[in-house]
Amino acid sequence: MKINLRSILTGVLLVLFLSGIVFFIKRNRPVPAPLPPSVTGATTLKIKGPATAPVKLIEYSDFECPSCRNAQTDIQGLFKNYPGKIQLTFKHYPLTSHKWSLYAHQAAECMNRQGKFWPYQEKVYEKQAEWAPSNIPPVEILARYARELGANMDQFGKCMADVTVTHEIYAEKEEGNARQVNATPTFFLGEARFVGPKEMQERGENAIRKVLGLPPKPVPPKKQEPAAPAFPTGIPKQKVT
Amino acid sequence: MPGKSYKVLFLGRMFLGLVFAYSGFSKLMEPVENFQAAMAAYEVIPYAIVPFLAHVIPWIEFFFGAFLILGYLPRVSALVLAAMSLSFVVLILTTRIVTGVLPANCGCFGEGGLIHLKPLQVFIMDICNTFIGIRLAFLKSHPFSLAAFFREKSPSGT
Repeated sequence: MKINLRSILTGVLLVLFLSGIVFFIKRNRPVPAPLPPSVTGATTLKIKGPATAPVKLIEYSDFECPSCRNAQTDIQGLFKNYPGKIQLTFKHYPLTSHKWSLYAHQAAECMNRQGKFWPYQEKVYEKQAEWAPSNIPPVEILARYARELGANMDQFGKCMADVTVTHEIYAEKEEGNARQVNATPTFFLGEARFVGPKEMQERGENAIRKVLGLPPKPVPPKKQEPAAPAFPTGIPKQKVT
Repeated sequence: MPGKSYKVLFLGRMFLGLVFAYSGFSKLMEPVENFQAAMAAYEVIPYAIVPFLAHVIPWIEFFFGAFLILGYLPRVSALVLAAMSLSFVVLILTTRIVTGVLPANCGCFGEGGLIHLKPLQVFIMDICNTFIGIRLAFLKSHPFSLAAFFREKSPSGT
């Protein structure tokens, strides 16, 4: 009995001690103050949607990430379903595990300087299967996409070799790191965070609807129930004559 | 028990404990949404239970990993961690069979952790961990453990 008591007491103390360590470290982690937009990355912000939109989403995304590509359909759906209500800000977050991602982000940022960011990002996602598996840096392919969208290729070429653009991309990634982003796509709606397309579908859209003062998204019926009552239980059916 | 295998099992205990304690700790240091997304990537897990699991699993990993390192309830801890390793093996296998694809990153050590393993690598590691855990769970005494310390301190020596 004595051993059991000592053992139980040790267990309780261990749990308290270990939990204390976790909470203490988490609480005392340095949280960098948010930087003003002018120094947090690209000189021109990549914003889609009206400034007056009540829903302001921020997306940290990687062009080589398949989940980010999949999330684009959902984002387009949001713009379609809530016209004029959504504003999206794109932030670069090239993952180190994706070898050609930085090239794509550099190209997109170069297109941003020519005011063609959004069509270019659509193209890069759409053609991900073409450039991402490349064995050599896909500079030629990315330049082709830019040409197809009518970019000034002289400017584009110079910009692709410009290290300051790369630094700006990393500055945006660093800003994401400061917000504990480390998976893509990560969306922010105020302080609420939605990681991955699934989260965005399951919780994100309802959070948007809440901001817009709409009821939660109705859950689509999984299957047609043949014997579904036409009236709630307890209310007698009336004969239709 | 021969001294050599005893040492090997002690190292196995440290390895298993460290893997899980680090795995849990790195997840606890991140926003829970990151682990939630890593779990949602395994499409066979019903999404309704993903938020609950994402909150609970890191704590279980951290506590039992630390318990195993310290040798507190070593047999129970080893069994719990073996069961978790086995469930990860089943999860990876089921996901591969049902969906035909596996997530690029296993999500085992938190997305921002130092270790990034591919599902196949973690599959092999989890098989090893399952065996280590089961072996440790059947070991009656664990050297350099709190359990051994309590046994020595007890008047009857049991």
